Amino acid sequence: MSANSSGGQPVLEMAGVTKDFGSGEALVKALDNVDFSAHPSEVAVVMGPSGSGKTTFLTIAGALMRPTTGTVVVSGIEVTHLPEAQLSEVRRRRVGFVFQSFNLLEALTGLENVQLVMQAEGLSARHAIERAKALLEIFGVGHRRDHPPKHLSGGEKQRVAIARALANNPDLLLADEPTANLDSTRGREVLQLLRVIARDLGKAVIIVSHDLRVREVADRLLWLEDGQFRPLPPI
Amino acid sequence: MVSIARKNLFAEKMRFAMSVSGVGFSVFLITLLLSLFRGWNDRVGSFVEHVPVDIWVAREGTTDFLRPISVLPQEIAGELRALEGVDSVHPLVVIPTGFEWEGKAVETHLVGYDTTGSAGGPLEIVEGKPVPSEGEMVIDKALSKMYGPNIGDVLEHSGQSFEVVGLASGGNFVATQVSFMPIESARRLLGVEELTTFYLVMVDDQHEPVVVAERIEENLTGVSAFTGEDFADTTRDRTLRDVIPILIIILILAFVVGAAVTGLMIYTATVEKAREFGILRAVGFSNGYLYRVVIEQSLITGLVGFTGGVILNVVVGRFAEDLVPQFVILVRWTDVAAVLGVTLAMSALAALLPVRRLAGIDPVTVFKA
Repeated sequence: MSANSSGGQPVLEMAGVTKDFGSGEALVKALDNVDFSAHPSEVAVVMGPSGSGKTTFLTIAGALMRPTTGTVVVSGIEVTHLPEAQLSEVRRRRVGFVFQSFNLLEALTGLENVQLVMQAEGLSARHAIERAKALLEIFGVGHRRDHPPKHLSGGEKQRVAIARALANNPDLLLADEPTANLDSTRGREVLQLLRVIARDLGKAVIIVSHDLRVREVADRLLWLEDGQFRPLPPI
Repeated sequence: MVSIARKNLFAEKMRFAMSVSGVGFSVFLITLLLSLFRGWNDRVGSFVEHVPVDIWVAREGTTDFLRPISVLPQEIAGELRALEGVDSVHPLVVIPTGFEWEGKAVETHLVGYDTTGSAGGPLEIVEGKPVPSEGEMVIDKALSKMYGPNIGDVLEHSGQSFEVVGLASGGNFVATQVSFMPIESARRLLGVEELTTFYLVMVDDQHEPVVVAERIEENLTGVSAFTGEDFADTTRDRTLRDVIPILIIILILAFVVGAAVTGLMIYTATVEKAREFGILRAVGFSNGYLYRVVIEQSLITGLVGFTGGVILNVVVGRFAEDLVPQFVILVRWTDVAAVLGVTLAMSALAALLPVRRLAGIDPVTVFKA
């Protein structure tokens, strides 16, 4: 089954993507001939049971892993056969990641976590700090910017992580179980934030989640099972 | 700029302190050994180098000041004076001797010199009478510090008594110290009235010491002639050559310990931060950037440890000789610069293993909760 959306130039295009792990009798097809596309300003939610291939899908979409077969195009760049150095560049410039366990650097403050990725892109320290402050203000954690992650609540950490993901103004935002470590109120807030990011900032947002609340912000809801997109089961 | 290396290091203060201590101790050990070697090298040859004579004449086979096998007949003095270029000749007696003071043995290299001239006498008097008379002696201040006798004390040898009338400096050979008395007293003390260990030769203004030394060896049989500088060098060489291999081994061990401590600490820190390095790779940082972070951590640790180690060495050097006379330290800034190079090499080496570990980090692991 194809999982392509229509309208506008796609930010992400995956065509005939297969990912195999192991070989022979131990071969596991984590993704099996998957087609997928995502467009600006939309939120695509990928759900599915454990082991369905959701994480593999996200890592290939985010240019962290190469598919066994098929092609992946991010913001018009075919990344399938790019060398690692250029893949890093694509991830840094074109893709933002939001993780289940926030994945902030513990030794840095919230501000520095956001600032750092901009510095890697060559932005001057002054501009990076200004932009990081602005992003943290927008996401409601400006007053907590000088605290290290261990002094932030789960919701605050996820907001800092979202600010970091958007620091280099990527076209594509990939969120892996972004509400898994949050209570229901904070989880809803984060989902609404992702919705706003897609709608107001024109980003393509892909959320992989088990959380049924995620449906509330989805423009498209997809079901991944045994490495293939399948019709949505009754939930 | 945000420096992850600095942030990581200072976030783990205890680990950083331990790493720096390891490097600092290693640097301290390396600089201390080098400074000790320099200090010994300086002291061992210093007395010979600074005795105001041009040529040392000894029995053939004598190689250094501290182990003279030299008993020279008195007629050699006349033969030396007769040679072209020789201005004056002064006999000197040098022999390792033990005295007794307050029931304790005081070991020294006794120097008997012609007190009517200055050749072979104390280089500098720091306290007391500059020239000893019959029944008197001048001892080096390092000997006084080591064994205890001071001005006014009486040292005994074979029933003869010698009062300490002066303290001198410049006669500390580290392993031994020199004491001075008139040559006649020294001969009488040793029971050999004709004894002469060395003849000290002054050369006139028209001749080069090297040329006169060669002339002495050509014209007199059974003697060796050294310029002051050569004799100082052979004394240094003979005294320190047995110590150098030991110093080199300890230097290598200190380097290995320093590299191992830094390497282990940086490696442990890298392994503990593997997830964070994975995050950095996931969000688009190149391997090269991550390597730089680890190398920067290692270099910062190395440089802070180096600074601590060198400061400790300078502080220890300032007080060590006052406490232990053999602990003669001479810090040369060229050596410090060399140790800085060694520290940087040590730090780079320590970063190798963690860098290899980094190369194996899979950024996909950051998706695991």
